[in-house]
Formats: sequence, structure tokens, C-alpha cells
Amino acid sequence: MIIERAYIKSNREVANNIWEMHFEAPQIASEYSGSGQFINILVMNAWNHPLRRPMSIASVVKGNISIIYKIFGEVTQLLSEKKVGDEAELMGPLGNTFSNWKNGTYPILVGGGVGLAPILNLKNECDTHHVKYDIIIGARSGDEHFMDHEPEKNIILSTDDGTIGVKGTVMVPLEKMAKENENPYLFACGPEPMLEAVRNFALSNHIPAQLAVESYMGCGVGLCQGCVIHRQNGEIGRHSYHEKYSLVCLDGPIYEAKDIHFG
Amino acid sequence: MKQRISILADLRIKIGNETFDNPIWVASGTFGYGTEAPDLVDVNRLGAIVTKSITRQPREGNPPPRIVETPSGMINSIGLANIGVERYIREMLPIYENLSTKIIMNIAGTDIQEYVEIMKMVESVSSVIVGYEINISCPNVKKGGMEFGVDCDMTAKLTAKLRNITERLLIMKLSPNVSDIVSIGMSAQESGADAVSAINTVVGMSINANTGESNIHTTYGGLSGPAIKPVGLAMVHKLYQDLSIPIIGIGGIVNREDVVEFMMAGSVAVQIGTANFRNPGISEDILDTLEIFLEETHRAAATELIGAVKTHS
Repeated sequence: MIIERAYIKSNREVANNIWEMHFEAPQIASEYSGSGQFINILVMNAWNHPLRRPMSIASVVKGNISIIYKIFGEVTQLLSEKKVGDEAELMGPLGNTFSNWKNGTYPILVGGGVGLAPILNLKNECDTHHVKYDIIIGARSGDEHFMDHEPEKNIILSTDDGTIGVKGTVMVPLEKMAKENENPYLFACGPEPMLEAVRNFALSNHIPAQLAVESYMGCGVGLCQGCVIHRQNGEIGRHSYHEKYSLVCLDGPIYEAKDIHFG
Repeated sequence: MKQRISILADLRIKIGNETFDNPIWVASGTFGYGTEAPDLVDVNRLGAIVTKSITRQPREGNPPPRIVETPSGMINSIGLANIGVERYIREMLPIYENLSTKIIMNIAGTDIQEYVEIMKMVESVSSVIVGYEINISCPNVKKGGMEFGVDCDMTAKLTAKLRNITERLLIMKLSPNVSDIVSIGMSAQESGADAVSAINTVVGMSINANTGESNIHTTYGGLSGPAIKPVGLAMVHKLYQDLSIPIIGIGGIVNREDVVEFMMAGSVAVQIGTANFRNPGISEDILDTLEIFLEETHRAAATELIGAVKTHS
């Protein structure tokens, strides 16, 4: 884990309020170990916003790292105003990775809202390793999608309003696809209600699932103890000494669905 | 390890019988047990590490959400999540044997007996820790130390009890959430404290206007960061007027100017807190630049700064 000043190589809105940014960050890229990991970005040097912003890594190609973000407040607004050639200070790579997706199971990737980045990253890794998979991306409306609905390529989009792809939440296609495939393994990232729905579906149908969770994070390295999630089974992890809570920054952000709950 | 830029100014400071290499310490609860970020900081360059509050039993801490950023600061309500004194003795004390920086153990309790028991347990084993910082000012636990921190008699009684147990440094950490911090500090001094540290966090609240929800599970939490720096400066300066024991300044320090200001207000040393969350190595940067500042302002020693503020009255 290192802190690196990184050049911004691109920054553009790829769908309604969905932004993609590329950094030249060769040092962090060289330590990167897989989809699910994140970086902690310092957008401004002034101290009116003291904390970094954790962002999941969407891709690592050679020395370049990309993220996908939504404008959510002042800091992400400032991030969207960054120009090519500007710098940002990145801390990373942080966190653990998705696992077991190339072990003979059939991965079903589920992403929604701001939870696209690690899912798209995992999709690329599956492509690279010639692992077959389904991917389901959910949004409220069609203008939030930047991929195409291509069921023939196992790329399924869903929208709450039905403007693109399947009408409804990601659960509509997910329940169908999980039953159509043998040995499904779910990999999901998105808003908490979505993750909770995926978790409940996975547990009640005895389907393994890994969730990339979000948590309000202070430091990203275990110092502040702020980013806890409820632990389900009380097993004490390598980093967290607690039975009831787990630190997302050190133990996560990827958890087996059976190991956590959403309070 | 970063290159040391200058060795000209004398950065050493003294509290009780302990001499510290420099006045830049890291604050309890912002640096874990000193072992968390080895890639990002050379802890041996720090003047001291004040480790996370330790209670008699392990504590899970409060439910999430525990933290939220606020203008120029943040509110936390971790709830003293910690491994408990037994694991601290077993797992952390041996690690500290190999560090050259000085370790100060922060202790929290819900009654005098708990503080006493913890300190006796640590005193009963061999260790390199140089002292204790006593948390009598955590705002985030229901039966927490706050009842001590707001009451002169309780502060005096607790300080005296602990003084009887240890010859190591005894530092009482004071709360700003009181009507008169000086009287609390005086009680600690008269009962045998070697120093006081000030300030702990300021009680704060944060609300999401869109959802109507409190942003912290426990509703109130502790505000820290640059937002509380003026509060910290004022309280340190007030304490400095009346106390004869050293004061360790805390409150939103993020750069060398902040350190200088806290020392000018009367601090002998300072603790870096919230800034560690942005950059765990920031104390090293501050130390490097402080040395340059002393050189540039022709000061031979950091101690020349202590209480040097020019007030208008």
C-alpha cells in the first residue's frame, strides 16, 4: 500500500451522472491484486474536507487505473471538474478481492448504481481468463446505463422504469439466471437494498455469493475503526479482533454473503 | 524512511523524568496500536505514540454509522472499540519492545476500579511503556469516562488513586465539554498528574437534511479536525495560565504552523489526530517542516516556542 500522486488521463460522464476517470498510477497498479480492491482518493489539499474518498477500482491496464463515480456532494463535484493532466493523490491498493470465480462455478455478476466499478473489473478479469459468466446491471432509468442490453452475450440490463432491458430490479433476471445455470456463484456490488436482496436470495437458495460492500470510511487502513459492518457468524478475521463487527477497509470490502448482515 | 532534512534545532522536550526526541506525538484513537500502517509511516520518528483507549474487557464499539465528515472536521462515535487489557498486554506490549519511539498507553474505564485494575495489570508485567494517558473525557460511551472529566472531585480522586500505582508518566486527558477546564486541570495537577493533554473531541451532531436521519448511530459524537483547533488553542492557553505541569496540545493539528501555534499557546508537545486518517505519515512531514521552521526563525530549540504567544492584554 502506497500513496502516489497520479496524473488524470481522462475524466468524462459516460451516462447520466455516471463518471469514469483514468489515472496514471504505475506504483499502485504494480501492487494491485484483483477486482474488489479500492483506492482512497484525496481530491483537494485544503482541509475543509479532511477525509479521502474510497473508490473501487474499475480497471487496471498497464500503469493505469480507472474508477467509476457519481457526483454525490462537493468533493465528487470537484472530482468531476478535474482536467486531463491534473493530479490527485491516491492511496492504495486497499482491501481484498473477489475470489473463487474461476474455480469451476458459473459466475453471475450483479452491479447497480455506484456499484458498477468492481463488477466491471471482475467482468474484464473473467474475459481475460476465458471464464464464462452472466452479468446483470441495474439502474433506475435507461439514461444511467452506458452498456448495451445484449442478452445473446449474457449482458442483461435492468431498469426500474423499463426504459432499457428488463423492467424491475436486478433481482428479476437474477432469479431466473441463477436457476438456469449449474453451480452459480453470485458476485454483487451496489446500493445496500440491492445487496440485501441478493444476500437474502443467495442464502435462501443455498447459492454462494460474494458482496462488495460500501461503508463510510475515515482512513482506509484500520486506524479510525469507523467503517464497520455487522458480522454474521462471529468468526474472528485476521485483522479485526471483533466478533460483532468487521472493519470493511481491512477485512473487506468483499465478503461472503453468509458472513455479514446489514443490521 | 524519509530523509531527515535538518538536525540543527533541538527538538527534545521533557515531561516529568522522560525526555522525548520531539514534540510530535500521535493521538489516541487515531493511530490504532501503532502497528497498523507500517508502509506509510516510520513510527520510530514520532516523539511518542499514544495507543488506542484500552478497557478492562474487550469492547465491540458502537453500531454503524460511526463516522461522518463535517465542515473542516469529522464526527466519530467509535465507542472505545478495543481488544481489552489482557490482549494488549499479551500481544501489543511485546511489539513495543522493538520500537524506539516512546509508547504511552491510553486507559479508559467506567469507574475508578476499572482504571485501577487495568493499570495494576500493566504495572505487574515488564514493559517499555513510558506512561499512561487517562481518558476521562470520551463522549461516546454511555457510562464512559465523561463523568470523571466533568467533575473536579472525581478527577482528583481518580488521579490520586492512579498516582499511587505508577511511577511512570501520568497524563490526564481533559474534555472541552465542561464549563471550566482549568479547574479540572488543577484537580489533576494537585492530585499528582505529571501532565494534562487537551483537548479531547467536542460533542457534535450531524443530520442528513434529505433523509432526516442522524448521521451517527449514537446521535451525538466527538467532533475533531481543524474545525476544533481554535477551541483547543483557547483551552490550552487557559490551562497554561494557571497550571505548572506540562500541557500536551491536541485539536485539529494538520501542519507545522498548527504545531507552532499550539506550542505558543502553552503546549510542551502536541498530538496529531484526525490528520492521520488522511495520511498516516503526516506526523513525519510535520516534524520535517517544523525543523525547517525553527531553523528559519533562528530558534535553537523547540521549547522556545512554549507559551511564546504575544497577547494584547
